[in-house]
Amino acid sequence: MDQALFRLLMMRMRGGFRLRLMQLTSLRGLLFFLAFFGIIWLLVATSGASSDMGAMSDAALNRQTLSAQISTFMPISMLAMSLLTVALTTGPTFHFSPAEINFLYTGPFHRRDLIIYKFSAYVAGATLSSALIAVLAQGQTGSALSAFFASLLTIIFVQLNSAVIVMAAQTLEGSRLARIRYPVIVLFFAAAAASIVYAWTVPDRSLFDLLSAFRHSWIGTIILIPYIVFAELFVSSSLPQQAFWACIALLINTALLRAIIVLDARTTDRALSENARASNRWERVKQGGSYWATQRAEVRSIRRSPTWGGLGPIAWRQALNVARNSLKVVVVFVGIATCAGPLVAAVGIPLSDPRVLTVIYTFFGFILPRTLVCDFRGDLSRMEIYKTLPIAPWRICAGQLVVQVLVTYVIALPLIVSIIVFEKGSVTSGALVLAAFALPLIVLIYTVENTIHLLFPKKLVPMGRADFEFLGRSLVEFIAKTIVVLAAAAASAAVGYFTLTAFGTSLALPVLASWITLTLIVLLTVVMMQYAFRRFAMAETVD
Amino acid sequence: MITVTNFSKQYKGFTAVKDLSFSVEPGQILGLLGPNGAGKTTTLRTLCGIIPPTSGRLLIAGHDIAEAPIAAKQNIGYIPDDPRLFDTMTVWEHLAFTAAAYKVADFEESAEALLMSFELTHKRDTLVHNLSRGMRQKVAIACAFLHDPKVILFDEPLTGLDPQGIRGIKQAIRERAQAGAAIIISSHLLSLFEDLCTHIMVLNLGECRLFGTMGSVLSEFGQNDDSSALEEAYFTITQNKEMDQA
Repeated sequence: MDQALFRLLMMRMRGGFRLRLMQLTSLRGLLFFLAFFGIIWLLVATSGASSDMGAMSDAALNRQTLSAQISTFMPISMLAMSLLTVALTTGPTFHFSPAEINFLYTGPFHRRDLIIYKFSAYVAGATLSSALIAVLAQGQTGSALSAFFASLLTIIFVQLNSAVIVMAAQTLEGSRLARIRYPVIVLFFAAAAASIVYAWTVPDRSLFDLLSAFRHSWIGTIILIPYIVFAELFVSSSLPQQAFWACIALLINTALLRAIIVLDARTTDRALSENARASNRWERVKQGGSYWATQRAEVRSIRRSPTWGGLGPIAWRQALNVARNSLKVVVVFVGIATCAGPLVAAVGIPLSDPRVLTVIYTFFGFILPRTLVCDFRGDLSRMEIYKTLPIAPWRICAGQLVVQVLVTYVIALPLIVSIIVFEKGSVTSGALVLAAFALPLIVLIYTVENTIHLLFPKKLVPMGRADFEFLGRSLVEFIAKTIVVLAAAAASAAVGYFTLTAFGTSLALPVLASWITLTLIVLLTVVMMQYAFRRFAMAETVD
Repeated sequence: MITVTNFSKQYKGFTAVKDLSFSVEPGQILGLLGPNGAGKTTTLRTLCGIIPPTSGRLLIAGHDIAEAPIAAKQNIGYIPDDPRLFDTMTVWEHLAFTAAAYKVADFEESAEALLMSFELTHKRDTLVHNLSRGMRQKVAIACAFLHDPKVILFDEPLTGLDPQGIRGIKQAIRERAQAGAAIIISSHLLSLFEDLCTHIMVLNLGECRLFGTMGSVLSEFGQNDDSSALEEAYFTITQNKEMDQA
């Protein structure tokens, strides 16, 4: 690499490190940092304790089973990720920021040097991620060092592999080969859907059985060869074995990097435009927008906004925001929600299983609120506008919540329907109760989310890969939100139980009492949110 | 129309504005002048209800901004120095949003007229994130004018505008004042004040150093060959204070 670029890389790393240290100098930064590492330590300690509790033979057996699962399913997951990259084929392969384009593209550097500089920056970031993964995965791989190297080589492979696929697709653009991209994707998804349906209809064959059969077939082995190398790296039990697979992994990564440098010469113009597009997108993500927002310059204007006593214009603004910013995300989430029922049935896990409930709650309580933002959280830079409007604060708050809640509810409903349709022994009345309770629960999640945001405003995206303050804060927020949701659910259930024991002959009255209790708690949190909005003062709370 | 009495604003021990009192009547244009950190933007942001005052009374069309914020805000048009628009909405939709928020019933005709006067008609269906800074500034001003406010507050109104745009905005400000609006402009452009303002207030370190009509300021500080009377007044007042402090 060029000496100047190497120096730049070192200075940027030093700058990043200094920034993290500066975060630690504030009480808030220090607390979130400690919270993040406290939770990580807790997870490691818990997993260590659970493996210690079992007999040694059980632990060995568990590790063997896990190794078999990694060996079988990791290559398939990596292939799926690669296919997804082909399907989306968007964004630059190596993202150069506007500042880098201004300084480095105009500087006396070869393109190859710039690619290596960017790759080195990526490796530095991946090293940090791998160190974190190694702490969590050391129990499964035998030692922290082996987990670290396996993670590092795999993360680098994922990046390089995606880059080569995208660059190859860009090189082939306009040629006949490019036309087969979408038919191939459709074929792949049709095969996946057929497998799920087959697994669902045949009682003694689950989806995992089918995937396992594919992985161990000769055709599966040929297709998955490069991915199998990285799975084997994770499950190697001895040092020589590990060294062998690491060497092959290193060779694959070197070959991919070489391919990128060769392909880059053919895609320079495209890379520049993609970089500009990606920079614009990230700027919008920082403002609360979606990465997949419309790229159009002009659209047909909606002539009028509803008033609805002041609530209308705010809700209308957020509705336009979703329609033009996050519609693709909503469609994807509705698709995922619809597939949840058949998937759970194919896997053979009942809805009442704690693992399923945890996944559903994590999806609605953590993933969705972070991916689909159409409330105060995306409007931090526009709070001035809301503050100057002649609209009562509670109406502004309600207006902000309406669209976010409705969109989430639209995603929750297909999930409920699909689970009820595919779950054995479920009844329609159960679905109705779930649908009725889902609405106040969703309002509760977003009211708490917005209240926390208004009281302690924060940026929406982390400052780089190792923003421990951001990560710690996200985890603490999630835990706080979960406590509020659990407390509300417990209070609601207690009222229901009391009604059942006091009056109950049928379940209708306790369910109604429970729902009313939950709704009242939700209304209380809306009052809290209104207080937080009134208290919010831009100049005093935003750095 | 605007009456400020003993207004002070403190941020965690730091006094941004100290004991400020003034009034602006309908038709008057007050120029807020002062170096960076003088308290100009804090005064404007408090007047339009973005930040609460620490003490004092701020009346907008007879309504206290702290006690009756909704009634007061109904009469305000505020144009910030860096207009943050909704990037997924078109120019027209911003006007429609403003009309609904301020309950302007038949806004189409006024909106069309504003688009025409700010040369935005051909940008009606453009998503605002595709507009230049100057264009975005014009959209913000059009939105602020839509509900025909009695009080208009401008924070650096000419930033990012081309000469044609500057002339258009100056003309619009004059017309609004003639129609009876009370206007406050905060800027560092002394020529803008000389062109437009009827009154001048010089702030420094959160305190009012000079408040009077443009005529009285010009006559007091006169004019020499090198600089205008306002420039003379500005540097005399702000540098005297700095020398006192030194």
